[in-house]
Amino acid sequence: MYIYPKKYDCIVIGGGHAGCEAALICARLKLNTLLITISVDTIGAMSCNPAIGGLAKGHLVKEVDIFGGEMARNIDETGLQFKILNKSKGPAVWSSRAQADMPAYRLRMKHTLEHQDYLDVKQANVEEIVIEDGKIKGVITHIGNEFLCDALIIATGTFLKGKIFIGLNEFHAGRAWEPPADKLSESLAKAGLVIGRLKTGTTPRLDGRTIDFDALEPQMGDDEPIPFSFKTKNFNPPNYPCYLTYTNTKTHEVIRENLDKSPLYSGMIHGIGTRYCPSIEDKVVKFPDRERHQIFLEPQDANSNEIYADGLNTSLDYEVQVKYLRTIKGLEKVEIIRPGYAIEYDFVNPIQLKHTLETKKIRGLFLAGQINGTSGYEEAAAQGMVAGINAAMYLLEKPPFILARDEAYTGVMIDDLVTKGVKEPYRIFTSRAEYRLLLREDNTHLRLAEKSYEYGLIDKVHYEEIQEHIKKVNEAINILKTTYAMPSIDFNKRLESINTKPIKTKVSLSKILARPEINYSLLQTIVPDLPLLNKIQMQQTEIEIKYEGYINLQKQQIEKFKKLESIVIPEDFDYDKVAGLSAEIRTRLKEIMPKTLGQAMRIPGMTPVAIQIISIFIHKKHVQSKPA
Amino acid sequence: MIDDGIIAAIASGYVESAIGIIRVSGKNSIELLKKIFYPKKNTFEPYKIYHGFLKDSNQKIVDEVLVSVFKSPHSYTGEDSFEINCHGGLLIMQNVLDLVLKNGARLALPGEFTKRAFLNDKIDLLQANAIVNLIKAKTQKALDIAFGQLLKKNTTIIEELREKIIFLMAENEVLIDHPDEDLSDVDLNKRLLILNEITKLIQKLLKFSEKGKYFFEGVNVAIIGKPNVGKSSLLNELTGHNRAIVTDIPGTTTDIVSETLNLNGIPIKILDTAGIRKHSNKIEYLGIKKSHEAIDEADIIIAVFDSSRILDKNDEDILNIIKNKKNVLIVLNKSDLKRKLLLPLNIDPIEISCTKKTGINTLKSRLYNMLIEDYNESEVVSLNTSQIIALKSALKHAKKIKKAYIDSLDPALISIDLQQLADYIEQIIGKIENEDILDNVFKNFCVGK
Repeated sequence: MYIYPKKYDCIVIGGGHAGCEAALICARLKLNTLLITISVDTIGAMSCNPAIGGLAKGHLVKEVDIFGGEMARNIDETGLQFKILNKSKGPAVWSSRAQADMPAYRLRMKHTLEHQDYLDVKQANVEEIVIEDGKIKGVITHIGNEFLCDALIIATGTFLKGKIFIGLNEFHAGRAWEPPADKLSESLAKAGLVIGRLKTGTTPRLDGRTIDFDALEPQMGDDEPIPFSFKTKNFNPPNYPCYLTYTNTKTHEVIRENLDKSPLYSGMIHGIGTRYCPSIEDKVVKFPDRERHQIFLEPQDANSNEIYADGLNTSLDYEVQVKYLRTIKGLEKVEIIRPGYAIEYDFVNPIQLKHTLETKKIRGLFLAGQINGTSGYEEAAAQGMVAGINAAMYLLEKPPFILARDEAYTGVMIDDLVTKGVKEPYRIFTSRAEYRLLLREDNTHLRLAEKSYEYGLIDKVHYEEIQEHIKKVNEAINILKTTYAMPSIDFNKRLESINTKPIKTKVSLSKILARPEINYSLLQTIVPDLPLLNKIQMQQTEIEIKYEGYINLQKQQIEKFKKLESIVIPEDFDYDKVAGLSAEIRTRLKEIMPKTLGQAMRIPGMTPVAIQIISIFIHKKHVQSKPA
Repeated sequence: MIDDGIIAAIASGYVESAIGIIRVSGKNSIELLKKIFYPKKNTFEPYKIYHGFLKDSNQKIVDEVLVSVFKSPHSYTGEDSFEINCHGGLLIMQNVLDLVLKNGARLALPGEFTKRAFLNDKIDLLQANAIVNLIKAKTQKALDIAFGQLLKKNTTIIEELREKIIFLMAENEVLIDHPDEDLSDVDLNKRLLILNEITKLIQKLLKFSEKGKYFFEGVNVAIIGKPNVGKSSLLNELTGHNRAIVTDIPGTTTDIVSETLNLNGIPIKILDTAGIRKHSNKIEYLGIKKSHEAIDEADIIIAVFDSSRILDKNDEDILNIIKNKKNVLIVLNKSDLKRKLLLPLNIDPIEISCTKKTGINTLKSRLYNMLIEDYNESEVVSLNTSQIIALKSALKHAKKIKKAYIDSLDPALISIDLQQLADYIEQIIGKIENEDILDNVFKNFCVGK
């Protein structure tokens, strides 16, 4: 065996969205890093939909951005269309989404990795991980080379024992026609990790020349696009259209008649699929009364005709795919370039991980992305970021980097993963975040700059820029709350001029801004000496004032949450010595080893009685250890 | 300490007895006591028993009680604490507890006093096991009492309530998390309809718990009428005892006499009141004042008239008192004598004669029917005070949500209101987890791609 002479601090296996972020962050923290991938040609590849962001996912992208990741910058540079979703609702749930130029995205990411100091990139198929004394030592590739490291991050996506299904055909592959990583999965099992199996699917890619776009509704991006990265200035992206079409009863008929040719309905697939991305056959079966389902036709690439049919994820037989596609308006003469398929793959149930994404069993081994049972590029990238930072902290012997549920969507996701485990591919939703009103996309970098700076993940210039922004918003809020308007004839005339009711008593400006019909710039027209703010600062000022009651309510809830989170369960806490716990709960607790009483409470199946009992024993221990 | 604050509970158990004990413990609990307790002197020394009155914020007397005060660390819990010995009626114990809760204490969790004792080193570590078992047992018992009837007989209401709240939460989340989807089936009217159904279910539970109250705590029935129409005789006839003084001197009953009667399983407390009339002496005046209070607190009123005499001013006063009340039975006593009384036409009286003992059974069955009107066994639930408070808060909150829907408030804010609604009644419908909402989203809405 050839042992490679250069010893790395950290090795990352996989060049997808998790692997790229993990490797970049480690290298940016000046640790000697190696990224190993099965194919350097697919670094940063988007295996499924050609979009970044969306509800809650947009939050994750911005969190990756503030902690030194690349995803936001990468999409800002290579996006084809940018849009804020939920614009008709309140700003708490606005979310950014961009259509991506897939090859451009991939190549820019590869270029970034190749130009990153402290980072090497190598093409190889890792087959074995090497462990010594419960610590990670290195990896062995398919041609018998050993690379040594002190920390290892595995981010292999759907490649572990990947198996693809198209109709009743099946073959081994990690993504489309790329080779899977079969032996690595066995090596992980040998190391003591429990492996499970999941399933996901993707949609057919169509030849744009054979689509009648004129018959369809175009969907444009925003006229004034907003970038993902707080670092992106002078943003001027293209605005390519997507197109909306619908399935119809005929489509559904074709699908229904051919369910026997579906690997899902014929029982060939054993992995558990996600309800969040149902296949078109699932939708037709589960909602038989629906007469149509939406399909978005999305560009994949500025330089090719390939079109992604969003909403048609399927594993039906090729023949059936051709048949039902051609029943759809605009697709009557469509040609398929690549068929849709289902993929089944191994994953590691994330209850075997700590909040740092390090495995509980093996020191220095971190897992990130789809291997942890998640789905989505953004979910993967956020985990890659956390695994990368924590591998670095581990190597530098510094305190771990943990985001709490009240700090970031990434924190919500990782706490869900390690506390509740995964039964079906996990996707982030805004509803998973308890404190949605505070964890907004617009204030992501404001909320997290302090922490990022503390861990050395943003530079001083950007940090100070953000602090300046925060100061301006706070000043404006303060002025609005402490400046009072008198019910003078003059002022009431001014109020009427902006179509709002006059005041009868002395009223603070914040009370006037809180009126639904008033915004900051309107108020500024009648109170000209209000501080000058940019668009985002105005918006944040408005949110803080208009939603004050609800925001305070959430802040109170956070206080309660923090109280329980502050009660630490000692790492050596022996659940076998705690009387009165049911066998099932005891097993769960020992498996998950919650760090705090708050986390213990979130374990599925936990009862209030069990929590009471645990809290008694924690307190008792605490009381005893105090000197008398 | 995680469970801070002052805790309180009925220590003697929630059963009718001679003396009820309300235990209160926690830092500053003595300050709480000073707000509600009026002894001869207001300085408390530990290990002494004080006599005095408990009064509410309107200075209304709640009960006459004995209070013992314990100072930290020499108390059961190791904290400042006190115990109130009050009269042992269920209603009185409940009122005393409510008074303590209103003044800053919260209801103790099962076993919480013992838990505090344990944490404050008042109990040996070896007893840990026993305490854990105790907490488990107590919790189980509390659950049995609280949910026993609910779960056995009213699962459908609880499930329906839970399901509908989850549906509204899920629907709101769909609006937020799936803005691209074709959501033609989400509309305001449907939401208002479901919210209305939720309100109705909560009201139903509250109504059932009122009925439950009849069975567990009993019903107050007040007998009223002008002097000397035979109220005390009626009391004696109803209960079969001979306790109220019966004379033919009007105004003999100057205090309230009460007797209990078991009417087909429903405990009934019958209050015989002083006759209500004008021009009376001072003692009688006090009696009449008490009668009015009894009328206000009664679940059912039996208004007695003398059928052998014509309607006079005093009778008219009685008619005025009961004019807008629905819970009234009108009785014409002395039906054995010649009838001279003419009542307004819309009144359907029950004719009785206490002397001849006729009509009493008719009265009893009319009374029973009134109590169990549209009653069936599955409609009786037993809710504790905090559950009732929670349901009432939920009702109030539902109104807020209705307004939010109508004003098309931001769904992100509505979600907070819906969560609050769920939190209020969590102890009745069970905790709603994010998974429950997501399950509902993907079951009821065709979303995701």
